[in-house]
Amino acid sequence: MDTYKRNELFAGLAMLGAGVAYMLLTANLPRRSFVDAAFVPWILSGALCLLGVLQLLAWKKLPQQRAEPTEPAEATESIDYPTVIKSIALVTLYTALLEIVGFAIMTALYLYAQFIVLTPADQKVKHLRYAVIAVVSAALIFVIFREGFDLMLPVGLLDF
Amino acid sequence: MIELLQQGFGAVFSPYVFVLITLGVAVGIVFGAVPGLSATMAIALCLPLTYSMGPATGLSLLVALFVGATSGGLISAILLNIPGTPASIATTFDGSPMMKKGQGVKALGIGVVFSFLGTIFSIAALMFIAPILADVALSFGPHEYFSIAVFSLTLIATLSTGSLVKGLFAGALGFAFSTVGIAPVEAIRRFTFDLPSLNGGFAMLTVMIGMFAVAEVLKFAESARSSHRAKPQNISMKGVKGFGFSIKEFISQLPNATRSSFIGLGIGILPGIGAGTSNIVSYIAAKKRSKHPEEFGKGSIEGVVASETANNAGIGGAMIPLLTLGIPGDTTTAVMLGGFMIHGIQPGPLLFISQGPLVYTIFAALILASLLMLVLEFYGLRIFIKLLAVPKHILLPIILVLCVVGAFGLNSRIFDVWAVLLFGLLGYGFVKGGLPIAPFIIGFILGPMAETNLRRGLMLSDGNFSGFLTTPISAVFLALAAASVSWHLVTVIRHKKSAAIELMRS
Repeated sequence: MDTYKRNELFAGLAMLGAGVAYMLLTANLPRRSFVDAAFVPWILSGALCLLGVLQLLAWKKLPQQRAEPTEPAEATESIDYPTVIKSIALVTLYTALLEIVGFAIMTALYLYAQFIVLTPADQKVKHLRYAVIAVVSAALIFVIFREGFDLMLPVGLLDF
Repeated sequence: MIELLQQGFGAVFSPYVFVLITLGVAVGIVFGAVPGLSATMAIALCLPLTYSMGPATGLSLLVALFVGATSGGLISAILLNIPGTPASIATTFDGSPMMKKGQGVKALGIGVVFSFLGTIFSIAALMFIAPILADVALSFGPHEYFSIAVFSLTLIATLSTGSLVKGLFAGALGFAFSTVGIAPVEAIRRFTFDLPSLNGGFAMLTVMIGMFAVAEVLKFAESARSSHRAKPQNISMKGVKGFGFSIKEFISQLPNATRSSFIGLGIGILPGIGAGTSNIVSYIAAKKRSKHPEEFGKGSIEGVVASETANNAGIGGAMIPLLTLGIPGDTTTAVMLGGFMIHGIQPGPLLFISQGPLVYTIFAALILASLLMLVLEFYGLRIFIKLLAVPKHILLPIILVLCVVGAFGLNSRIFDVWAVLLFGLLGYGFVKGGLPIAPFIIGFILGPMAETNLRRGLMLSDGNFSGFLTTPISAVFLALAAASVSWHLVTVIRHKKSAAIELMRS
């Protein structure tokens, strides 16, 4: 199965899965009359499931091997999933610790780590420069928004 | 009207607002110029800055960002041969060859001046059409609003890039996400999982920041380690008179610019398609009508004029349905709608009556922002070129932090930051699955409008659905919605052997 066909299958399964999940949640809503708070969700869940099925039908009718792939093989191979996963992990960690550790410290740490993760392979990681940019950016954003725009960004550990 | 406009100019020429508009245009140009950043992102990220401002000041900043970012795409289109935004795709066709021929300054000058003319034309159209349309819309009831919402949803699903099935699915899923929270009419909680934070549903801004900004960072991460920076070529401004082109060349392009302005305005008004489509359509139209079509693609100024006039003419066009009906025509105006709502203003026909001075302040801000764009973009070019060279692995994480600030600032709670992350992952999933994001956003925004008006309409007609068909305007919009889906289906089935395959790929 070529990459395009596989992606279309996954898309169809995800679409149908989302439709079924939404339908199950809708089924738990209390009913009062024909047109009530569950009326629109029922229509939507029906539509989502139907469109998921249509996507899977369309996938089934795709030829086994496509004569001309939409994207060159090179482009498909160059997707760097480890960097994507590391980035997601960093953002998740950043969000989880934001309130406890505080905006300024967590932002500086997150930025420093994220700069390193995203640095192109042919470039050297410049630790000092990254650290300075991370600390200055975090401090500036914190001061501008907290002091200038009265946005109560979490102070966390800096709350003496 | 003149008096209100004078008041508007009075407001935007106050030193504080003037400085904000200048900064807004400059930041907007940077967002437009850097490939991967967009007008939508610029407005979404700067929204938190407006929380503590008054509505007139805050909205002036947002429209300045809109004008700057729509036009800024031409810088990278000409200098790097990479469109900064989809609105400048056609600018690369002739802008880049002009650059290679040593006419970079001329291409930029033409692009900037005709962007300005396109914007001014569309603002004039907005100022004349919007009040008339608002008057008509005052008579609209729930039946009409429901049908307009359905029409807009089907139009965006069928016209957005990608397949019809995926477009419709994205719109329906956006609608489904909007049903989270307290339901209209009965006020029962739906899909809240007993979490009090979900009672109010997901905030519009968290959805948009997640789907656009966070998803963009993740998309960049896919190729970040193997990316090579495109270095913009330096251009010399020495000895350049005016904007780098002659009066004769300017006059010869006026018919082309007029046609392109109408195309940009018309496409901008329609929900679902905007500057990303109009620049290409007007480029094709200009080529067809040109006396020298063979020069297109080799550095013809006609191509740059057509693309840049049309994309900026969409600014006023997209604002028409937003201000008069409260319906965003594209994702950028969707974020603008979020900006209005943060300041407690509901766009719609009543806006012209209840907030007349504010509406005309927005018009004045648009005009001032266009003038500033003309000056800043051309004469501040060197600074923007330098900013283009800022590496994306430094820029995008900082943007992500600003997303977090924007989300947190909505209600000062971490829940909204988690929501941004959730929608960021969903947006990345959309990118991987080939699903268009715009229908999702519009579905999310128009969903509550459709549902509330459906319920109200049914109450008015004693539970009878025929009310939606017997009200003439409502019937027309429902017929148009059915026609747009049917037309798309018929086109697909007629052109290809397998309807199912084509539904997916069309």
